[in-house]
Amino acid sequence: MAEATLKIFRGTAERSEYQTFSVPTYQGMVVLDAVHDIQAGQAPDLAVRWNCKAGKCGSCGAEVNGNPRLLCMTRMDQYPAGQPIVVEPMRRFPLIRDLVCDVSWNYEVNKRIKPLAPKPREADGTYRMQQYDIDRVQEFHKCIECFLCQDVCHVMRDHGKYDFAGPRFMVRLAALAMHPLDTVDRLRDLRDAQGIGYCNITKCCTEVCPESISITDNAIIPLKERVAGEFYDPLAWIWRALRGKKADTRNPVH
Amino acid sequence: MPTSVTHDILIIGGGGAGLRAAIAAAEHSAKLSIGIVSKVYPMRSHTVSAEGGAAGVMRDNDSLDQHAKDTIFGADFLADQDAVEILVNEAPGELIQIEHWGCPWSRDPDGRISVRSFGGMSVDRTVYAADKTGFHMLHTLFQTSLKYESIHRYDECFVTSILADDGKARGVTFINMYSGQVQLITAKAVIICTGGCGRIFPFTTNASIKSGDGMALAYRSGVPLKDMEFVQYHPTGMPGTGILITEASRGEGGWLVNKDGYRYLQDYGLGPPTDTPVHRKMELGPRDILSRCHMQEFQKGRTFEGPYGHYVHLDLRHIGEAVIDSKLPFVRELSRNYLGIDPVYEPIPVRPVVHYMMGGIHTDADGKTPMDGLFAAGETACVSVNGANRLGSNSLTELLVFGARAGRAAAQYAEQEPAGPSQPLDALAGDEQRRLEQQYFRKEGGKVRISEIRDAMQHAMEEGVGVYRNEEDLLKTCQTLRDLRHRFSDIRIEDKTDIFNTERTTVLELDYMLDLAEAIANSALQRKESRGSHTRTDYPDRDDENFLKHTMVLRTPEGPKIEYAPVTITRWQPEERKY
Repeated sequence: MAEATLKIFRGTAERSEYQTFSVPTYQGMVVLDAVHDIQAGQAPDLAVRWNCKAGKCGSCGAEVNGNPRLLCMTRMDQYPAGQPIVVEPMRRFPLIRDLVCDVSWNYEVNKRIKPLAPKPREADGTYRMQQYDIDRVQEFHKCIECFLCQDVCHVMRDHGKYDFAGPRFMVRLAALAMHPLDTVDRLRDLRDAQGIGYCNITKCCTEVCPESISITDNAIIPLKERVAGEFYDPLAWIWRALRGKKADTRNPVH
Repeated sequence: MPTSVTHDILIIGGGGAGLRAAIAAAEHSAKLSIGIVSKVYPMRSHTVSAEGGAAGVMRDNDSLDQHAKDTIFGADFLADQDAVEILVNEAPGELIQIEHWGCPWSRDPDGRISVRSFGGMSVDRTVYAADKTGFHMLHTLFQTSLKYESIHRYDECFVTSILADDGKARGVTFINMYSGQVQLITAKAVIICTGGCGRIFPFTTNASIKSGDGMALAYRSGVPLKDMEFVQYHPTGMPGTGILITEASRGEGGWLVNKDGYRYLQDYGLGPPTDTPVHRKMELGPRDILSRCHMQEFQKGRTFEGPYGHYVHLDLRHIGEAVIDSKLPFVRELSRNYLGIDPVYEPIPVRPVVHYMMGGIHTDADGKTPMDGLFAAGETACVSVNGANRLGSNSLTELLVFGARAGRAAAQYAEQEPAGPSQPLDALAGDEQRRLEQQYFRKEGGKVRISEIRDAMQHAMEEGVGVYRNEEDLLKTCQTLRDLRHRFSDIRIEDKTDIFNTERTTVLELDYMLDLAEAIANSALQRKESRGSHTRTDYPDRDDENFLKHTMVLRTPEGPKIEYAPVTITRWQPEERKY
């Protein structure tokens, strides 16, 4: 039976090391299977989060050979045989232990986003919406909050700018902004509280998204356009002054 | 001494039912402080895995009575009919409410909410969000819960006991995963929303957290578990991983075929086969019957054999790429990722897999358990609306309707309940901390590996409490489980650290699961009839005279004790269940 070598980060912020393990491989094996194999026999004290093993719950985010990945969705056979596969915790977040890090910051950021406030219902008590509008929102709602995009985003990872809410919350803000029922204006918050200007569209977040959400193209760029239209477009200022209207904050440009 | 916090209402579990209960309580009164303790972050809860949809009467061609009748019929008449009426009456309002909170239900061309067909339902009444319905619902509930200042979350905290004073539930102890410390939350009311316990079985659609913690906590507090022998096998899980292929794939027209390419369900009274799906026929039969048909095909040698055992094919090819991509995108995604198969061009291998617990903590229609101050809702509870077999898409509705009802009932209870003295609870929490330290944290020696007992338990459950059951196998399984309970005291725990010690929680989960496994196996042993998902080869017929009643299992030091309680029949008299 073929074997693979894994180099796994072990320890805490105070003391850490890389430990090397050998595991038997089989067809269809993912990195999480290898980690489980190690836990079952060689290192019962290896700390790792996991749950659904189907890429839905977002628990098992980590870095494999330096790339942010879900361990349950990362096939072993994509890595060259004979070279160790390096597994580390997400680097952007404070380490708790081994492959587990503290992602609670994200939940604090989320709390500061103004929630959905829907428009009034139709006369029969329901809402009418088109599938076209629902599709767009469903794409953003696909986010499983694995926070791999928050891990890879260089604004935070390399430059330590934590006043940027990060790609995950740009997706959430886009879901709210493009929700057919929503009535709230969040453009000032986007510019100030969520720091959308920090993003310089390198698309690293889109590349790592296990749900294949077009974070940059479908969420961040439209939001940037709206913020620019509201605050930085002198023609729009004049137009609005003449018409006495606020910028259209609900419908995207098609 | 464990550190202590106080809330008015404490909810264990942050999935669909728990969040719905929290929102209901917060809306009932802004003065109530609400805590949610969850062993995972909110979006990790298993509600994310629910795919197909949520049932509710949405159209003129449907009626509340028809939904109730389908549900009661599907339940093989073991559901409490007053509770079922509450479910169907409140379902449409809940489904519209969650849309109001932002849940993106899929639409019809005229802009109305779309409905799809589901197994055992006589009209299209399953509301959905593509094939990630539970996911979108959980997402919406979580984001909505953030609006309320009164809701406080304790993420990644593992509950070890429910504390009672003067016969009333008054709080919980939990291990904070970050520090390993045992902590105490006191409360006037406790709501258990911890979902099912599919992990007791080797082959399940359930995620690793589904170890039935809340059911075991209630059971240990002296609360009976109801109808635990009714375990739902979903007919279409992926071999090997157990990942679910949603029933919606059959609702959209998928076919089940055996190794001869034959739609075998027509041989079991579900025919005739038609090109387009017909309600309650063929692939739209209920889950218990479809799972049994699969097992009989296997016995006839008409299933495929693969590295992970027998399987049949779920064929979606005739539906076409456009429908698959718009209505079943997740099925395509999962098949590609985990089987290397594209269902547009190839059939998907599937087999029955443990999916859902019809049974659970005994509650009334307000989520109240027999213990004052203790409530339960969602899969962990048994109201009972699912009886002996749940219809697909009733469970998401159930967690909304009964989550909300439990939240409101707990809020009313907490409003009139005076805050009791804290000293007895501090003392109990101190005892619990010492118990955990002696039995687990500081345990030395021990020879048996966790995985050894877990594997043996899962194997015993599959052997004795599978799709088909009989006295001999059940007796054997009950005995094996008793032996495993004794061997558990010799468990080996190697990780002695406090920070994020997952070995510790794994062993505590196993402890819970062993209790529940015994409750399930003994309940099944005593029910000498076949009804819904419980099929006894030695008692092949339904026996209304002796067993039209709920099983109530209580925990005693000697093992589970079985009692019975009557079923509420109102307008639908039992009749033969034939599709």
